Amino acid sequence: MQPRHQFFSPARVSAIAGNTLLELVRQKVFYFLLIFALVLIGASFFMGFLRPELQFQVMKDVSLGAMSVFTWLLAVLATAMMLPKDIEERTLYTILAKPVPRFEYLLGKLLGVFVMLAISTVVMGAIFAAVLYAKEQLAIAEALQEGKITDPAQIAEIVRNVKASTFTWSLVPGVIAIYFKAAIFAALTLLISTFASSWIFTIVVSVAVYLIGHLTPIAREYWLADGGTWLAKVGLALIALFFPDLQLFNLADDIVAGNAIALGLFLHTVGLGCLYIAVYGCLAYWMFANKEL
Amino acid sequence: MPDPAIAIRNLTKVYPIPFKRERVTAVDHLSLSVEPGQVYGLLGPNGSGKSTTMKVLLGLVPATSGSAQIFGRDSTLVESHEEVGYLPENPYFYKFLTGQETLRFYGKLCGLRGAALRERTRELLKLVGLENAADRRLGGYSKGMLQRIGLAQALVQEPRLLVLDEPTAGVDPAGSREIRDLILEFKSRGITVLLCSHLLGQVQEICDRVGILHQGKLVREGELESLISIENQTQLIFENASPDLLARFEAEAAACGARLVEKSKPHTTLERFFLEVTK
Amino acid sequence: MKRIAVLLVALLVFGAVKLPMERAITDAHRAAYFRGAKLDLTLREQIGQGAFVAALSGFRGVIADILTIQAFTAWENTQWSRVIFLYNQITTLQPRVIMHWETAAGYTASDASVAALEDPKQPRQALRVKASRDFIQQGREFLERGIRNNPDRYVLFNKLGALLAQKTEDHYAAYEAFSKAAEFPDCMGYEKRFAAYELSRCPGREAQAYALLLKLYRMGASQHTPMLLGRIAAMEEKLDIPSDQRVCNQHGSPQ
Repeated sequence: MQPRHQFFSPARVSAIAGNTLLELVRQKVFYFLLIFALVLIGASFFMGFLRPELQFQVMKDVSLGAMSVFTWLLAVLATAMMLPKDIEERTLYTILAKPVPRFEYLLGKLLGVFVMLAISTVVMGAIFAAVLYAKEQLAIAEALQEGKITDPAQIAEIVRNVKASTFTWSLVPGVIAIYFKAAIFAALTLLISTFASSWIFTIVVSVAVYLIGHLTPIAREYWLADGGTWLAKVGLALIALFFPDLQLFNLADDIVAGNAIALGLFLHTVGLGCLYIAVYGCLAYWMFANKEL
Repeated sequence: MPDPAIAIRNLTKVYPIPFKRERVTAVDHLSLSVEPGQVYGLLGPNGSGKSTTMKVLLGLVPATSGSAQIFGRDSTLVESHEEVGYLPENPYFYKFLTGQETLRFYGKLCGLRGAALRERTRELLKLVGLENAADRRLGGYSKGMLQRIGLAQALVQEPRLLVLDEPTAGVDPAGSREIRDLILEFKSRGITVLLCSHLLGQVQEICDRVGILHQGKLVREGELESLISIENQTQLIFENASPDLLARFEAEAAACGARLVEKSKPHTTLERFFLEVTK
Repeated sequence: MKRIAVLLVALLVFGAVKLPMERAITDAHRAAYFRGAKLDLTLREQIGQGAFVAALSGFRGVIADILTIQAFTAWENTQWSRVIFLYNQITTLQPRVIMHWETAAGYTASDASVAALEDPKQPRQALRVKASRDFIQQGREFLERGIRNNPDRYVLFNKLGALLAQKTEDHYAAYEAFSKAAEFPDCMGYEKRFAAYELSRCPGREAQAYALLLKLYRMGASQHTPMLLGRIAAMEEKLDIPSDQRVCNQHGSPQ
């Protein structure tokens, strides 16, 4: 009745990934999307006194900022408690007592979190686009009404100008970069949880990495520049080497400002993100492989 | 000659204590063997090394030295788990899953799919008497129900070996009886069972062989009957014997040099009495 | 402990591997006008530690927006020094948002300068004029800084040209700004004409301006705006072009 044992089984990995996603769904993590929608709608009403161009700017900044915070928080909180909970409640024993290699278990768990983050990002992106679209239509109607414009060419120009300030497809790479930053943190948090003594420790360390990771390019610049004491150089070098450069994924601010990123450069950035994830994931497996349970 | 279900040779597990030079020897040169189809009771006080032995057998913890094999395969290999079903002590499964979802999840981990998985799930739920609770989340299950769903997930891939750690701990007498009956049924199907339990009365009812661990060492091991029999005593139970007949037996025994150690009425067990009264 | 030590070494080795990749991508980002914001200690002192950390963590836009709303309030209350102070921070945080440079220039070179000129609290006209010119200069500096951060966009060149044309006597600088704007393929289309108009207002450059105006005139009827025709007529008058060679008569109509 039983099939021959497979060294790697996508089916086993997807069973664990699906189970992880189901757990997160049933823990009602997606309710935060409601908060996100409320923040956006609230922000759009609050800024009624600003001129339309500035309103759109603020809406885009707030939306992408909220998206960045929520996805990062989700990634850290969902992953920090995954392993400790399974060990403490001994569900891990029943899983590893089945013919499931440890790397499939970790991979499945991580993939479940990645899928959850992807769903969250897509839904937040859709809410963002919808609210922006509603504001856009309102702004167009107001502009046409105010100026009592009937000339089709003028109408077309107004519509074009308003649309250029609202949702453009060039925002999508910024959103994908936000997703990758969160995914990197999921892998990193998993790595920390393999040796952390408690999930609180894991979260605190993840937050520290988040803050220091944004200083990495500055540390790298000063380390490689001339001047400075050797002690400072050592400290800066350690930061530059140990921590991921999270500024690489902060593209949203400049994309919102109208900077479109070339596909090649974007793929390079995302490729480095994949490298971070792969390395942190492999190190997490290495730490977990001989962990005494 | 078929491979033993479990073959442990000179197994030693030493835990270092962080920041100290001392080490704790949890299992000390343990060797034991369990033949296919047997129910083997692994007994011992708390801290005697039972859980560690089971964890090494299941590959959850690496041995310091020695080896453990399951049906001839090294227990550190993931493929050896295909033959094993495990029920840990006080198991917590994923509370957010229903009974049915739990079995489907573990079934998928064992390579079951589609109709075969659905059928197996249905079968197991019926076997452990949880058909009516199949769609209820495990967070709402009682202790006995959790133990039963635990047994069901241990059986999902039709293993040849079951490792049960305190399967009736915290379960009421009726539930405990059901689990005991299930274990006897597994035995009748030829499934090997390694059982750890503090409930010696139950172990005595179910097990063929027992091994007793103490401070990491196997201090006694053997067939249950031979271990607990008192060699130089014989027990006879009479029904409807008159006092005269009993007096004549006593006199005859004394004349042959035997000593009457005890004369008393046999007892039923408290468990049987309880079940009869609460039926 | 041993495993953690090995983990740290592995991270260090990975750090050495990722270092050149991070540098290369950072340089590529900067070349593509990403991450140009200079987040330094000066900014940290101005916006505070919390806002600085938030700005570093990827919330530059949000912090800039909060400051923009504060700047709007300051503008409403005609607190011009505060408007300039805040817009210095805003444009540092978001140097690639054209709107911030435009707004900063507009608030200073237009609103603040007019307010200074009409300041009832300043009885001396000379000081009022000086204050007004200082604000205009501040607006010009905002646009010039904006151009240094956005050399790939025509808008600020356009705005600079308009400011110089309307608020200063530096018509040649206005001509240069409009000419730069006109070089961009996505510009509005009128920049070439505006450049020519400004050049025509520069003493000693009439011939150069006339040549430019004629070139535009010959591009077709779409360029024959009243202003263009008027400037051609004025140049022909100034250069004393023989009437049979003139393109426009004294009233600025084509001959």
